Amino acid sequence: MRPIYRVAKATFHEAWRRRFLNGILVFAILIIGSSWVFAYLQPGAELKMIIDVSLGAIRFFGMLIAVFMGTRLIPDEIEKRTIHTILAKPVSRAQFLFGKYLGAAATILMNVALMGAAFLIVFAVKAPQFKAMTTESTMTMEFMSGNLVKAVILIFFELLVLLAIAVASSTVFSWIIASIFSFFVYFVGQMAEFFKQLANPERDISHAAQVLLATIYRLLPHFEIFDIREAIMKDQFMPWDVMGKIIVQGIAYTVIVMLVGYLFFNEREV
Amino acid sequence: MRERFVRVGNRCRESGRLHKRTSHGSLDGRADVLANLRGRRAEWWAPAGGRCWAIGLAIRTENLRKVYGKDAEGREVGLLDLSMEVEEGQIFGLVGPNGSGKTTTLKLLLGLIFPDSGGGEILGMKLGDPAYRERIGFLPEEPYYYDHLNAIELLRFYGGLFGMGGSALETRIKELLDLVGMWDRRYIRVRNYSRGMRQRVGVAQALINDPDLVFMDEPTSGLDPIGAMQMREVIINIRERGKTVFLCSHLLKEMEPLCDNVAILARGELRALGRVLDLLTTGDRFMVRAEGLTPEVVAKMSQGAQKTEQEAHLYTAYFETQAQALQSAQAVSEGGGRVLFLGPQRHTLEEVFIEKVGG
Repeated sequence: MRPIYRVAKATFHEAWRRRFLNGILVFAILIIGSSWVFAYLQPGAELKMIIDVSLGAIRFFGMLIAVFMGTRLIPDEIEKRTIHTILAKPVSRAQFLFGKYLGAAATILMNVALMGAAFLIVFAVKAPQFKAMTTESTMTMEFMSGNLVKAVILIFFELLVLLAIAVASSTVFSWIIASIFSFFVYFVGQMAEFFKQLANPERDISHAAQVLLATIYRLLPHFEIFDIREAIMKDQFMPWDVMGKIIVQGIAYTVIVMLVGYLFFNEREV
Repeated sequence: MRERFVRVGNRCRESGRLHKRTSHGSLDGRADVLANLRGRRAEWWAPAGGRCWAIGLAIRTENLRKVYGKDAEGREVGLLDLSMEVEEGQIFGLVGPNGSGKTTTLKLLLGLIFPDSGGGEILGMKLGDPAYRERIGFLPEEPYYYDHLNAIELLRFYGGLFGMGGSALETRIKELLDLVGMWDRRYIRVRNYSRGMRQRVGVAQALINDPDLVFMDEPTSGLDPIGAMQMREVIINIRERGKTVFLCSHLLKEMEPLCDNVAILARGELRALGRVLDLLTTGDRFMVRAEGLTPEVVAKMSQGAQKTEQEAHLYTAYFETQAQALQSAQAVSEGGGRVLFLGPQRHTLEEVFIEKVGG
């Protein structure tokens, strides 16, 4: 386990020195910090606006960080040849790959935590003022804040799945192709339910098309389950057991994708 | 002199008394023992009652093959059926022009790429077995590291990969940074390193685990003359501690005095393999080299010579027999000249290399 920890730690420290990633984080925090300004664009729905803009920013910039960091983890090591001195040590390819993944996951955790903290601060300062102005929410601030924390936690697990897809695809493709592939899967994964509807046996399509659509539905990560903004806006309580199920699904998908990535990486010549 | 050897098992603890004795033998020196062990796992032997030393094979490859494709002339590019043996406790040099397969060989031995066919053993373990990585060190040609780290953090990282830690690791880091002359610059980040500094810290990371076998790819590249000399001292020091060094280099003048054995690769094929002394000595002619000679002495010196050469004030004569060469040297000495060399004709490694590589 020690090599995994060492590789993860080095990956985490290196990621924090990447100007590109820092730039994304600063930009995201700026947008979240000024999200209350956007709230004035929609009078009467200020709370919805501030939540939409902030959670949307965390997801969007988190996605950029996950994809651009994930797809470069392994190719950069190969290109810069840092991998040679590491794999010549008693570090298996599995330990190296999972160490890199965990280091990147820790980086995403920190990024999401910082963006989430910025959001919660803005929300704590501005929401009481907006709540007084609107009748859109009847819930208490504590209830809403609790739901928002859950939303941020789910975004983190959604990004873990996306990171796994980015890392695994980069073991096969170049980082550019892997980035395009990851974005594609992410956007299509938001519409996974759509494929389920298309594969509905009651629809007038061929059996082969049904099987194909059903397979796509099963293979695709269901990213939409991590998005609970609608539930928050409707003041619905998000039970922890439902949260737990979503998180377990996310982790299971991540493990499977990383195992596939490992199979490719294990055969890859560096 | 016939020396008595005791086979002491696979681990050495300085004295034969500490070892489980498995057999005894009376052998005519190291060469016989090596002949007996060829192709077998490394074993430790000791002169009876004395300090023990390692003999056996650090590396053995058998028809190791890795082909990347074909060149314009239809010849296979890569490494073609390499079979060689590297004995423990020596400095072994792998030389060859660009594209000859040196780096491919190194990567195959380190398990960074996989052979198409063939195999081998490293320290008695099958090629690709992760266990031998505990006992090897590797210095790449152009070492790249995580550039946000400084020398100490970098060595902590690499030491950590071996499960090292605590004061033992800190002591080892200090030792190694002193050895490579980087202790005073230990807080400088890798991104600000010159090529020479990278090379120095690269040696330190390669030795962090006190390896039994060290692979070095162009170890003196990027180093100034003093740095290169220190590097050679480090390499010799590794051998003196009974370890094996596998060097890849095209700097033949540096390899010649450093290596015990060399292999010459060209176009992926092994063109020569053996002791440096054997490769450089032609064995069929003897030569006398002298300076400070008058024309009369030159004439006497050249009597019976197959061939003579003059380069500035240096005169060289080649003879068929040793007796003729001795006579020539005698003439030089009596004529007031100075004999610089007398012995079997020797080539430089560069000459042998050009002859074997054909270019």
